[in-house]
Amino acid sequence: MSRTDNPQDAVSPIELLRLDGVGVRFGGLKAVDALSFAVGTAQVVGLIGPNGAGKTTAFNLITGVYKPTEGRVRFDGQDITGWAPHRIARAGIFRTFQTIRLFQGQSVLNNVLAGMHLRTRQQWWQGLLATPGQRREESRQRGEVMDLLARLRLDNLAHEDVASLPYGVQRRVELARALIANPRLLILDEPAAGLNDQESAELNRTILDVRAQGISVLLVEHDMNVVMNVTDHIVCINFGRKIAEGTPEHIRNHPDVIEAYLGKDDEEAA
Amino acid sequence: MKSLLDWLTRPWVGAVLWLAGLAVPLVLDQTWVFIAALFAVYAIVALSQDVVLGRAGMFDMGHAVYFGVGAYVTAILNTAYGWSILATWPLAVLAAALAGGLIAAPIARLRGDYLLVATIGFNSIFILALDNNLGHITGGADGLFGIGVPSLFGLQAASQNAQFWLDWVAFAAVLLLIRNLDRSHLGRTFYYIKHDQLAATTMGVDTRKYRVLAFALGAALAGFGGTLFATLMAAVSPGAFVFTESVTLFAIVLVGGQGSIPGVLLGTALMFVVPQAFRDFAQYRYFVFGIAMVLIMVLRPQGIWPRMLRREAAR
Amino acid sequence: MLSTVLQQLVNGLTVGGIYALIALGYTMVYGVLRLINFAHGDLCIFGAYIGLVALGSGAGSGQSHLLLLGGAFLLAAVVVGAAGAVLEFSAYRPLRRADRLSAVVSALGASLFIENGIMLIWGPQLRVFPSHLLPSGSWNLGGARVDLVQVLIMGGSAVLMGVLYWFVHHTRYGTAMRAAASDQDAARLMGINVNRVITSVFVLGPAIGAVGGLFIGLYYRQVYFTMGWTYGLNAFIAAILGGIGNIPGAMLGGVLLGLFNAFAAGFVSSSWQEAITFALLIGILLLRPTGLLGERVAEKV
Repeated sequence: MSRTDNPQDAVSPIELLRLDGVGVRFGGLKAVDALSFAVGTAQVVGLIGPNGAGKTTAFNLITGVYKPTEGRVRFDGQDITGWAPHRIARAGIFRTFQTIRLFQGQSVLNNVLAGMHLRTRQQWWQGLLATPGQRREESRQRGEVMDLLARLRLDNLAHEDVASLPYGVQRRVELARALIANPRLLILDEPAAGLNDQESAELNRTILDVRAQGISVLLVEHDMNVVMNVTDHIVCINFGRKIAEGTPEHIRNHPDVIEAYLGKDDEEAA
Repeated sequence: MKSLLDWLTRPWVGAVLWLAGLAVPLVLDQTWVFIAALFAVYAIVALSQDVVLGRAGMFDMGHAVYFGVGAYVTAILNTAYGWSILATWPLAVLAAALAGGLIAAPIARLRGDYLLVATIGFNSIFILALDNNLGHITGGADGLFGIGVPSLFGLQAASQNAQFWLDWVAFAAVLLLIRNLDRSHLGRTFYYIKHDQLAATTMGVDTRKYRVLAFALGAALAGFGGTLFATLMAAVSPGAFVFTESVTLFAIVLVGGQGSIPGVLLGTALMFVVPQAFRDFAQYRYFVFGIAMVLIMVLRPQGIWPRMLRREAAR
Repeated sequence: MLSTVLQQLVNGLTVGGIYALIALGYTMVYGVLRLINFAHGDLCIFGAYIGLVALGSGAGSGQSHLLLLGGAFLLAAVVVGAAGAVLEFSAYRPLRRADRLSAVVSALGASLFIENGIMLIWGPQLRVFPSHLLPSGSWNLGGARVDLVQVLIMGGSAVLMGVLYWFVHHTRYGTAMRAAASDQDAARLMGINVNRVITSVFVLGPAIGAVGGLFIGLYYRQVYFTMGWTYGLNAFIAAILGGIGNIPGAMLGGVLLGLFNAFAAGFVSSSWQEAITFALLIGILLLRPTGLLGERVAEKV
C-alpha cells in the first residue's frame, strides 16, 4: 500500500488535517491563539518555535487531551473538535509523547502490542474463554509486532524490559507502538530529543519511510537537522500564535523566525 | 529465595497443588474440609476483587456488595420460590454483574479516592437495605436460612465433601478464567488503564467502558462466589457482606500483591483461613489483622508475593 | 410543629459541632498528605475513653466538677495528640514514597488496631459516663428542650473552631500548614520543615477530634468501641461535603451534616436515615465532588 507522492509537492496536496483558528485559554492565559494550518496526505509538517511557544499544547488540542475554546479541528473531512482522545485515535491519529510514556516493567513486545488495541477483533469473553480464534489472533498480532520490530531493528530487544533500555531506544519503541496502529496521521512530540547524531539520522530515515507508506507526519522538534531534512512544510509559532509558515528554505531565512529564537537585536536588548 | 518463587510459579506447580487439594476430604477431618471449601469460595471473591483493584486499578472498597447480591439471589430464589440451586446460578451471576455495572456507570469517572468513598457508600446502603428487609424478601438482620444444595439429575451435593469438591472445581474454573484474562486483549487493556490512562486513551482505549466492564466482570465473579457461599453455609445474613468484609478483600489484594494470583491466594489464606483455625482467639482477629496490615505495608508495600511479569515468549 | 423544628435545630447544631471537630482532622490530613486517615475516627473515640478514665479516677477526689471536666478534656487532647503523632510516624511516614494504596491499607490496619485495641482494653460492652459529674440542667426554648450539655458542646465547638481558624490563617505555623497543603515541594524550597508540619497536623487534628469524641461521651453519656467508625464516617462525609482539605469547609460541612441528619431522623424513619446520609454522599461525589467550598489538596509530587 505504498504511495509515492512527490515530496516536493507541498503546495496543494489533499488536506488530511486542518486547524482553523484553534485556540485554548487556561484561566487568563491564552496558550494557543487562532492557530491555522494544514497537513496534507503523505506530507511531513514540522511545528517549531521556542520553548513555551505552545507546541505541545497544540498537539494536545489535536489529540483531544485538551478541548479548544475556539476554532475547529478537521480530520479527513470530519470535524473532530472536542472529541475524546480515544475517538480521535479511532479516526486514525496516533502520537508519541515528549516525556516517553511507555509501560515501564513491560517488554518491548508488550509495549508495542499495546498499539494494536483498536485493531483487535477478539471480544472480551473470547479472551476469557481462550477460544481458538482468540488464540490465533494473539499469535498473529505478535508476529506482526515482531515484523515491525525487525524493520526498526528492535527485534533482538523484543523481550527486554523497556525500563532497562537507553532513552533513544525507548523513543523508537514508542514510535513503533504508534506505527503498529496503522495511523493515517502520526504526531511526534520531540522525537529526536536525547538522540545522538547517528540516532537522529536513523530517525530521519524512519520518518521518510513512514511518509513513503502514505502516512502523514506532524512533528514538533528542536533539532534542526531533523526538521530541515525531513519536513515538506514548516509552521513556526510563538506565544501560541503562528508567526511564519512555508518550506524549510523559506523558514530558514525568515526574519520573524530568527527573531523568535534568538530574541531581539543586541542594541534593543541593552 | 527468588529461584524458589520462580519455581513455584511454574504453571504445573499450581496444577499439582490443586490436584493435591482434591484429596483434602480423604485425609483431613470435616472441620478442615469445611475450611478448605470456605477458602475456595473466598479465594474466588478475592480474585474477583483483584480483577477490579489489582488489574484495572480501581479503588473498589465495597466489593462485598456483589458477593452479597449473588448469595442473596440464590437464597431468595431457592427458599422463597423453590428454584433449584443450579438454576439460580446464572441469575445470581447476572444480577451481580448488573449491580456492578450499574454502580460503576456513574462513578467510574471519579478520581481514585472519591471512587473509594462512593463504593463505601454503596456498600452501606446495600447493608441497610438488607437489614431493613427491603421488599420483605431479604429476611432482615437475621437473613435467610434453609438454603438447599445443588443437585443435577437427582444427584445431590449434600455432603460436606461433595460441597467441597464442587467449590474446589469452581475455584479451578475461576483460576483458569483469570489466567486467560491475563493473556487476553481485555487483560492488557485493564493494565493500560491502571498504569497510564492518558497513554491508553491516545491508543484508542475507551477508558470509561473498560472500567465499567472491569467492575461488572469482578462483580460477576464475586456473585458466583456468593452463590457458592450461600449453599455452603445454607444461610445468608447481612453480616457476611458488611463494609469490614470489603476492607478485608481490599487488604487481601494489597497485602498479597496486586494482580498476583499466588499473592491473592496467600492473602486469602492468611485473612480468612487462619482465623478459622484459631476460633478460640476470635476476639483478637481484627486486632491482629490491623497490626499485620500496617506491618506488611510498611515493610513490603508491594505485597508479600508481587506479580512477577514473566518474559513473554514469542508464541 | 415549630417546637419539633427548633428541637431538631438544637440537636443538629450540637451533633454538627461534634462532626465539625472530628471532620477537621480528616480534612487537615488529607490536605497535606492526600490520605484518608481511616484511623482518625477511632482516635477520637479513644479520646472519649481517656476522658472516661480521667473522670472515673477523679470522681471520688472531691475536686470541683468543672476542674475535673477540664482536666479530662486536656488529658484526652494531649494523649490523643501524641497518639496521632505516633500513628503518623509508624504507619504513614514510611509509606510516603510508596504506592498510595499501600498507605490506604496501612490506615485501615491502624483503624482496626486502634478500634480493637480499645475493645480489648475496655471491653466490648458500652461504658457509661458517671452522670453526677456531667453538667445538667436545661432550658425551654419555644417548646424545644435545650440541655446545658448541648450548649456547652455548641459553644465549645465554636470556640475551638474559631481558635483553629485563627491559628491557620494568622500564625506562621498555620501559614506553613497551608503552604504544605498547597504545594509540598515549593514549601520545602521555601525552608518550611514539611515533616514537622505534617506531624503537627497529626497532633492538632486528633487532639481537636478527641475533644469531639469526649463531647460524644458527655452528650450520650456512654461510649462503645465501634463509635469511632460511625462518627468517623459521618465526619468524613462532612469533610467531603465542605470540600476535602478545606478547613472552613470541614466546619461548614460538619454543621450542615449535623442538621441534615437531625432533620432526616426527625422526619424519616431512623433505620433509613443512615441510608439517606450515604445517598447524600454519593450525590455530592457525582455532582460536586470538590465540595461546597472546594477542595484544597497537596499537589501530588
